[in-house]
Amino acid sequence: MTRLNRDTYVAILLLLFCGVFIWATFDIRQPDYGVLMPSTWPRVILSALTLLCFIFLIQSIKAGPDEEVADPSREPGFVGFLKYWRNPILCFVMFFLFLLTLPILGMLIGGISFVFLLMTLLGGWQPKQLLIHAVISVCAVGAMWSLFTFGLEVMLPEGVIYNPYMN
Amino acid sequence: MIVEYLSDAFNHFSLALQGLWIWKTMALMAIGVAAGLIAGAIPGFTIAMAVVLTLPFTFSMPPEQGVATMVSVMVGGLSGGLMAGILTGIPGTPSSVATTFDGFPMARGGRPGLALGLGVWSSFFGGIFSAICLMTLAPQLARVGLEFQPWDFFMLVMFALTITASLAGRHLVKGLIAGALGLLVRTVGEDEAVGMARFDFGTDVLLSGFDFIAVLIGLFAFSQLLSDVRDPDKARISLSEQSAVKARIDHIGALKEIAKRWIVVLRSATIGVFTGILPGAGGSVANILAYDQAKKASKTPEKFGTGTPEGVIAPESSNNAVEGGALITLIGLGIPGDVTAAVMLGALLIHDVVPSPTFITDEPVLVYSIFTAFFIATFMMIILQSFMLRVFVLVTRIRMYMLACVILGFCGIGVFALNNVTFDLWSLLWFGILGFLMRQFGFPLAPMILGVVLGNIAELNLARALAITPDLTPFFTRPWSMFFLIIAVFSAAFPLFQEHRGRKKWTLFYMPLSCFAASIPLFMMGGIPRPIIASIVVGFGAWTLWKRWKSGFELDASLAPEHVYREG
Repeated sequence: MTRLNRDTYVAILLLLFCGVFIWATFDIRQPDYGVLMPSTWPRVILSALTLLCFIFLIQSIKAGPDEEVADPSREPGFVGFLKYWRNPILCFVMFFLFLLTLPILGMLIGGISFVFLLMTLLGGWQPKQLLIHAVISVCAVGAMWSLFTFGLEVMLPEGVIYNPYMN
Repeated sequence: MIVEYLSDAFNHFSLALQGLWIWKTMALMAIGVAAGLIAGAIPGFTIAMAVVLTLPFTFSMPPEQGVATMVSVMVGGLSGGLMAGILTGIPGTPSSVATTFDGFPMARGGRPGLALGLGVWSSFFGGIFSAICLMTLAPQLARVGLEFQPWDFFMLVMFALTITASLAGRHLVKGLIAGALGLLVRTVGEDEAVGMARFDFGTDVLLSGFDFIAVLIGLFAFSQLLSDVRDPDKARISLSEQSAVKARIDHIGALKEIAKRWIVVLRSATIGVFTGILPGAGGSVANILAYDQAKKASKTPEKFGTGTPEGVIAPESSNNAVEGGALITLIGLGIPGDVTAAVMLGALLIHDVVPSPTFITDEPVLVYSIFTAFFIATFMMIILQSFMLRVFVLVTRIRMYMLACVILGFCGIGVFALNNVTFDLWSLLWFGILGFLMRQFGFPLAPMILGVVLGNIAELNLARALAITPDLTPFFTRPWSMFFLIIAVFSAAFPLFQEHRGRKKWTLFYMPLSCFAASIPLFMMGGIPRPIIASIVVGFGAWTLWKRWKSGFELDASLAPEHVYREG
């Protein structure tokens, strides 16, 4: 079987996405009033999007399989993929964990921990680096947090561990 | 009439100046310009990102002060890119790519001070030219905009999306898909016309939809930062390790050189303003275009690329003039010219100000505050540039991964402050992932961002149009609607034209045909000036056709894309 173009997979995914959203337009309640029904505009967009995705699919199939781009820094296989995309994946995972722990740690502790851990994961954990990362994360997040909390009077998420807004 | 207009303008200008001329606003503007200069100088940190990150700080400010601060960041960012471009050869922003072509060789050739001076002063003159155009053209465009009815606004949005997508060149379909995705994102939540829930998938959090600033930061800033740290080795080195960074600005020498080449400044700034007016084009296009025109017009084009002053003056005058152009359409019609202007639109909406053709008459002081802030920030940029050069040298010692991590943390705090809702932070993450994937798969982000920003304007105008009459023909028969439709169709076909130019016969008819087609609605508009413009357009089309006919409809192989690339 001929291998498919990377764009072909994207086009198929986009078509599936369109299908789900077209299906979801039937769940939109239609009121008795108004000229433009709430589902009309999304359906117009989705029709155009579906048509464009079909064109994209045909274009990608016509283009044939991807040419192998020799990137010396990229190793083959799943492990190679993980190594190549290590940094962006780490950023996503760490930000995800930061959001997950936000109700417990709060913005100040959570933010400092997030910046410190991410810097350490991306930059390395030599003792000198750890010290620099700790200073940068405390100063940067601390300053920003203070500016919003005291300067702009924005209530940032408080945590279970430390709640600065509790009297 | 003119005296009355000038008197009104002067009154609004003095009121705006009074509002801005307080120490707090001036200090905020100076900080904004300084922050913009540094943000623009850091490769991978775009002006739009800097403006987006400034937005949360402006919530508690009065609209005039908030918008003035954001304008200052924008003006600073436009000029900041030249520092990195000239001293390190790595453009700070896409708007200063062409500056490196001659700025870096000039700096390497022992004249870094002159190169910086040329860049700084060209930016200044470009900015001032653009501010004058903004003050004079925006009210005129708004007057034209008052003629627009809902059908015309709807078609204008469609045109803006199409032309932005067409800038993706051979990937037009990807650009259009991105634009449609942007429109779809904006439909999530309660619809604005009747308040019915859409695509909430049974959850309460999706009822209020995605905050579009969170979406913008996710799509643009978050995804950009992740792309910057993708390579672990590059992420761990600082800018100063890549190249030596040391210089002092030679102001006098630069001014002398610019005085000899004022025509280059004027031409490049004009290119910048008109590129800015065109939705979606922006500084990244203008600086290359201006550089190319300066090279074509030069008596010594062979010197370009070796460190010629015109090679620095042209891109820097044009990229600073772009934002004035982008703000003209934002203030005159409520349609942002580029991503940075889209963020400015977001800032105005947060302050309950909705730009439209009546914006200038409804909020004259605010509009004149934008004009005045643009002027003041341009002057501040000149004063602060020398000082910020020293700060830039310090910033270049910071490693890229450290900057990225700190900015990601700032993004989190800033986005939460938008509505004090944790859901916005999740939006930031999901749209960050989406933006990153789109970049990797070659989808342009600008059409999606414009789609998100303009989605509700399109829907509201569609609803208004259908409320007036269910008949759909006005979308195609009203002069302005027809005009936008025609230029949208021709701009969508433009990448195809560029690809086949010089190789296929039909490309010979593209230009004449587009002129004839665009003239029809102009004739239909009536009055005196527009039919005159239409006649000129028809005349140009006929002249082009006559030239082609005279040459026996011969194809010019030198226009074929691969030939142009070889030349370049």
